[in-house]
Amino acid sequence: MGSTKKTKVALIVPAYNESQAIGHVISGLQQSFNKTLYDFQIVVVDDGSKDDTAQKARSCGAYVIQHILNTGSGGATATGLSYAHQHGFDIAVTSDADGQHAPGDVLKGVELAIQNSTDLLIGSRLIDKTGMSRVKVLGNKGLSTITNILFGVQVTDSQSGLRVFSRRALAELRWKTSGYEFCSEMLWRASQLGLSISEFPIQAIYTDYSTSRPHHQNNWNGFNIVKSLLKRRIMELFNE
Amino acid sequence: MSRYLILLILNAPFIVAALLNALIDYKMHKITQKKFWLQTAVWLFISAGLLLAQPIYKFLFSNNLTQTEPLSLFDVIQITGIVFLLFVTNRARTKTEFLERRLQDLHQELSIKLSETQNS
Repeated sequence: MGSTKKTKVALIVPAYNESQAIGHVISGLQQSFNKTLYDFQIVVVDDGSKDDTAQKARSCGAYVIQHILNTGSGGATATGLSYAHQHGFDIAVTSDADGQHAPGDVLKGVELAIQNSTDLLIGSRLIDKTGMSRVKVLGNKGLSTITNILFGVQVTDSQSGLRVFSRRALAELRWKTSGYEFCSEMLWRASQLGLSISEFPIQAIYTDYSTSRPHHQNNWNGFNIVKSLLKRRIMELFNE
Repeated sequence: MSRYLILLILNAPFIVAALLNALIDYKMHKITQKKFWLQTAVWLFISAGLLLAQPIYKFLFSNNLTQTEPLSLFDVIQITGIVFLLFVTNRARTKTEFLERRLQDLHQELSIKLSETQNS
């Protein structure tokens, strides 16, 4: 009997009111990872959805963690990563629930993180901007520049939801914000912990569905994120 | 009794309590070392301001840098009120932050634990 241990991979999908897209996202991930030797589990963190996201995800074969209260994308991601850490996963990868990320890119991220022993690997939509509107490119570039200036990191896409975490990152990485601004704060905390951070190019898939949802991140929400990041940076002087 | 002495006597309990709270919170791991030092520095700065209020006023007045009246009893009460509010606000903020963190952790743990029964 071979003694080679299979790499345990947690595919974390934070979701809020995504009943229309969640099934497609889960089946895409299943198809991609079924071809590999990874011991994987798809974990959907339902962030207090008002629709049947949790039921749909469960019926598609995902492990579902349901938040009692809606906490925001940062809170849902933290729960997913905490679950992965508690259950001894070697690698965890987060992917958006609206189908924005190609399952192939998720798999590529896992392989690259293992190959290069990266603690935090970010799928950057801005290395190859195909599929992104000019407005989105501008908004994301702006937020990334602000993140780089405020927190002293060097990334091209600070808001990407496709992120791969090593075992060390799962054990040590924590953040305080619970909204979309957690994406930038996470990079800051990772840099404070001395975790290795790198990026790889991914394709952004925007559909009519993903851009039409009311909670979809737009450039106006970007102002809220900047405000929150500035506040966090200033408060840090008085806090931890 | 000098009004400056009254000012000191009235404010000293808040400052001592604030410094003690900071120390206890730090020892109980409720705040970090950085926050402990920052809070201590702020309260020591306030104490220095109150202790040196009279010499500072005299210096400013004699150098024609201020034209205000010397400390009145009303000023003493007003300053004490401000220091008290600072004390209460700081305490409330520390407690709120601690509770917020605890609530987030609780919500997270509860969701994970509940999922074990829901998914079985």
